[in-house]
Amino acid sequence: GVFAHLEMLEAQAHEAAVKQEATEQQEEKLARLKARVQELRRQRDELRAKVDLQQKGQLGKEGSSADPAQPSARAVLEWKTKSVKAMLQVFHLTGISGKLTKRGVCFCISTAYEGTYLDSYHLDLLTKPEVRIHRHSVPIFIPLEQIAGKYLQADIRRFFSVLSDHLNAYVGRRYQADQLQEHFSDQIEGTLQRNSLCNLLVFNYNVWSEGKPFLFNVRLLYGDVCCSLPTEVVISCRVDAPSPLAEMAAAHSDLFRRVALHRAFRSFRSAGERVD
Amino acid sequence: MDETVAEYIRRTVLKIPRDEIKAMLQNWGFLSETQLQTINFRQIKESISQDVVQLCEENSADIKQAAILDIIYNHIYPNKRVWSVYQMKKTGEEMEFFDLSDFKKKFKRRLRSALKNVTINFREYEDNAIWIRIAWGTPYTKPNQYKTSYVVYHSQTPYVFISASVLKSTLPLLCQALVFASNYHDIREMELRSHSLNSLKDIVFKRYSQNFQTYYPRRTQERNVSPESADLRIIQENRNEKERIQRVNREVFGDGPQPKLEFAQYKLETMFKSDPKMDVLDKKEPFRCLVKFSSPDLLESLKSLAPAGMADAPLSPLLTCIPQKARNYFKIREKKDFAGSFVNP
Repeated sequence: GVFAHLEMLEAQAHEAAVKQEATEQQEEKLARLKARVQELRRQRDELRAKVDLQQKGQLGKEGSSADPAQPSARAVLEWKTKSVKAMLQVFHLTGISGKLTKRGVCFCISTAYEGTYLDSYHLDLLTKPEVRIHRHSVPIFIPLEQIAGKYLQADIRRFFSVLSDHLNAYVGRRYQADQLQEHFSDQIEGTLQRNSLCNLLVFNYNVWSEGKPFLFNVRLLYGDVCCSLPTEVVISCRVDAPSPLAEMAAAHSDLFRRVALHRAFRSFRSAGERVD
Repeated sequence: MDETVAEYIRRTVLKIPRDEIKAMLQNWGFLSETQLQTINFRQIKESISQDVVQLCEENSADIKQAAILDIIYNHIYPNKRVWSVYQMKKTGEEMEFFDLSDFKKKFKRRLRSALKNVTINFREYEDNAIWIRIAWGTPYTKPNQYKTSYVVYHSQTPYVFISASVLKSTLPLLCQALVFASNYHDIREMELRSHSLNSLKDIVFKRYSQNFQTYYPRRTQERNVSPESADLRIIQENRNEKERIQRVNREVFGDGPQPKLEFAQYKLETMFKSDPKMDVLDKKEPFRCLVKFSSPDLLESLKSLAPAGMADAPLSPLLTCIPQKARNYFKIREKKDFAGSFVNP
């Protein structure tokens, strides 16, 4: 009858409405996705432009045209090598560095004095059956055997610390004596007497008092072999010297005990050192 | 001026190569610049030496000045003599303040107390080397200036370099005086001899180039300096082996120049090893044999053996241990328990 027909029409209309809704939803979704694609395309183009700019700016440095969000394997390796080299350089600059060898370790002691890097000395150690020195380039007048006998087996850190002290103090003393001979030879009379360890220096130098030149003889004794300053200073002069000289001698003696030799002489030169 | 002194100066000047005479006399400093100007250094040496003696006469030279000139000559030409190395030992552990004047006094005192008739002269050099010249006499005769020994000593080291004279009997006296003056208590001769004084110093003072493994990039890195880019048609068949030899050589000898030695001598006291079936010798006696390697520059030539293809690398440790063991005279005896030989320490 009519109701059935009406029900049928109603059902049809309902179906159509649902279909239309579904289509509309589909269309909406499609439109949304299309918009998203547009947006992503726009972002991609932006980033591409950035990469191009970067590449142009770093021409020649990095040959990789990889996506900058993910660095290439090669760049990583280069960075790693650089930082390891820098680390090793730092260790070397601290004064004591080492490298494992087939049979033990090879150490390098770099010495320095007041910011100037001086000589490097090497020790090739064997570790089996016990720690011992295979070869080395330490100067013969440094008591290496003695120091090794005391510390090498028991406390290797202490061994290197003591040896490093000896070597650094030696090069420091030698540096001061060399500087004195090189830059202040005009103030020195005759030769500078020294020895291999530079722990005894004897020389004569000019001082002025009341406008007259006098000769001081100085004997610097470096009693502490791990120290680059003298422990004993003896300044002598001719007997018939005026009394202000005695004061000057005492002042100089004190100065030599506290300050590096070439610095002391630099201060003499700049002060003019005239006692009137 | 003493006639013997004059003659000695004349003979010393004659030894000097003509072009070097003026410089050496200036170094000597006994004749003034104005005096030296009066000598014509382009005439024959005989005449130059006569002129020098004349001027020394004016300045009244004595044996001391003549001895200094002799030391200067030997310092500049040390390779004309054969030098032996001696090692001193001490018991004490205290750090010595080596005092030069103290050393000289003690040395002279000790030597003169044993033998009065000696001429002793010292000269110090910038590298802390102390040169001592001794002219020997006998208890009854004056020192003979032509019978001299030279000693080179670096303070605070246990090594002494001696160029002895013909008189071997004076050596014990000399050694005693050295030990006393330098505050050591014993001295022995090392098995190390050469004409090149500086090379001997390099060996015992460890100044020669040893190849230490470090991470620190060394300034002189001469890797890959191969002229192989010369001609592409030439192919190196044994490149790997060549590189291995270079590497092994470098590990053993280091990068720098080698100390200069003229010979290495190996005295063998080993048993002759033959096929037991052949039974060459009836008695089982050590086969005494002396092997001597001579060269103008022995260590450099050993270094070049493997790269030249004349020997396998690595070379026998008997040859390569020379600088490290600081000896070039070896005695090789049988190892007690094993077959083979061992080097006498």
